[in-house]
Amino acid sequence: MASPVESAAAPADAAAATWKALPLTERMAWQHRVEQFLYEEADLLDRRLYREWFSRVATDVHYWMPIRRTVSLRNIDREFTQPGGMSFFDDDHNDLRMRVEKFYTGSSWSEDPPSRTRHMVSNVRITGLDGAAVTVQSDFLLLRTRMEGDADQFHGRRDDLLRVGGESFLLARRHIYLDHTVIHATNLSSLF
Amino acid sequence: MGQVVIIPVVSEAAAISSADVAGWFDAEQGLLDKKIFVDPAIYALEQQRIFARAWHFMCHDSHVPNTGDFFLSYIGADSVIVVRDEQGVVQVMLNVCTHRGNILTRAEMGNTHSFQCTYHGWNFGLDGKLNAVPGTEPFYRCKLDRERWALQKVAKLESYKGFYFATLDPDAPPLHDYLGEVGRIGIDQMTAHGELEAVDGVQKNIIECNWKIAVDNLYDWYHVNVTHRSAMRVGFVAASVMQPNQQMVMLGEYGHAISGPGISQEQQQVIDELDDAERARLDTLSFAERAALAPRLTERRPIRPAHMKEVMGPVGVRAMGHPNIFPNLWISTRALQLSLRIPRGPLKTEVWWFSFVPKHYNAAQRRMAMKFMSHSFGPAGLFEQDDGENWAHATRAALGPASQRTPQNLQMGLGEDEMVVDPSGQRAIETKVNEHAQRWHYRCWQDWLRAASWQDLQRNKTPVPAGKV
Repeated sequence: MASPVESAAAPADAAAATWKALPLTERMAWQHRVEQFLYEEADLLDRRLYREWFSRVATDVHYWMPIRRTVSLRNIDREFTQPGGMSFFDDDHNDLRMRVEKFYTGSSWSEDPPSRTRHMVSNVRITGLDGAAVTVQSDFLLLRTRMEGDADQFHGRRDDLLRVGGESFLLARRHIYLDHTVIHATNLSSLF
Repeated sequence: MGQVVIIPVVSEAAAISSADVAGWFDAEQGLLDKKIFVDPAIYALEQQRIFARAWHFMCHDSHVPNTGDFFLSYIGADSVIVVRDEQGVVQVMLNVCTHRGNILTRAEMGNTHSFQCTYHGWNFGLDGKLNAVPGTEPFYRCKLDRERWALQKVAKLESYKGFYFATLDPDAPPLHDYLGEVGRIGIDQMTAHGELEAVDGVQKNIIECNWKIAVDNLYDWYHVNVTHRSAMRVGFVAASVMQPNQQMVMLGEYGHAISGPGISQEQQQVIDELDDAERARLDTLSFAERAALAPRLTERRPIRPAHMKEVMGPVGVRAMGHPNIFPNLWISTRALQLSLRIPRGPLKTEVWWFSFVPKHYNAAQRRMAMKFMSHSFGPAGLFEQDDGENWAHATRAALGPASQRTPQNLQMGLGEDEMVVDPSGQRAIETKVNEHAQRWHYRCWQDWLRAASWQDLQRNKTPVPAGKV
């Protein structure tokens, strides 16, 4: 019988084992650093400091949001499109740079006047550690309002790869799994 | 915001006369009544006289490659199942159980052996036959006529070069005739890329606008320079590609049209000299490299292979603009995508993007094509992000009684251009940025709303113009 489990990117076994083997105090320190990074990043996006946000993105980033579909349990493996299929975002560093710079052009009408956003990040869970990088799973609720009465909600899960860089991290991979199939919004002009 | 979409009940459109319809668009003056974007009675009439009558794109052959592959689509407000049956034949049936009218499948896609209603368990085959009914003997006393209660199929289902279309109206002309030369050229713009394969995943989003604004915008090469300026500023595409002054418009019966960039006869002569290998090679170069090698060519891509001149005709092969198959199928040819603008009430439109890649593409070509598609259109597309609010606000503003007193202006190029009839019989307007196709769209839209039947529409439709337009 098909399983109703929502698919999630699993870290390499070795990275998962390394993570689990760490003493609790070290895991707490990592957890704190990762959470602070994610909160700071959310804050930068909400305060429209997009270039600041982009400086925390690794040059080999893969920023990807597949399309979700309503499928029955027996076809549950097709709930999300796969890499190579169609997606909403399938960005490398330069693609993200264009999105970021677009905010500053003075003619990015979907964001000028700018949206008011609130990125709520929760359920942060580190799932693997390989010395230079951590795999992190988090849930998000992105609240967005525009003009008088437009109000959108986007929520879902993010699978991130955060690479240790100095005191903080660089975002090296972000796979965004929305809970929505049909997007009930005029656009996806926000970053997640 | 994430509300359930309620489709208004389509009742008999209350006593709308031909004179009313005539008043909604003045083709001589290029004036459009804003009421048509918000009036529920007009919406109801459109559902009956356009959507329940026209041919609608359902899928490409490659969307349902295997027996039992299915997905849901819409014909107007009707949910339909598109499925490949056990004989390998594509079927389109209403997604409604014939017993108590429950939706038959809630999954929007997948693979299945049959469709079973979740209410009382009536079970239908991939061909729509009612195969099993719980309680046939004890409750129905074996008196249920299963043949009578098969799934309701569309009236007609036909394909053109692998693209399936369906209509709910048995009186509709054959698909070939419905598409006509201009509609067929529109689809040929896609097949000119070679044999196509659907990419998995349809982007869907809902914009709070009337469907007609989302449709007529595809003909509009005037908005590009303003609406999409930021996409050009950040280097996504060159401005010269986005607003070429060399425009070409073809108009087809029933409201089909192609509007946008064109290749001049002189440029086509240069292309005619090139063999297919050279055409393909030029298409893989960057804009700058190509301009250096072939300065007399435009930047439009693709350079179509030689045999397409035969297929599309000497004028059609030069049309590089956006085709729309009336009412709501946009063919975005450069990016190999099809977009439906599905009405979900007068003030809501669901936009769908189907994407394709030619089978012969290598991995690098496929990656490039996918990149262009995912970054152009769809709700996150660098272009399309900025379209939706224009449409939504134009729709919303039309609700105001004072706003409704002033018509919309669709006058660009009115009376200034000429529809030239080529010796081949093909017709095109070659000019600058214009609003000819938008005017044609609304003129034909009036024909559809005035017609009481298909016969009536065929008799009284506006002929494609020649000469001054």
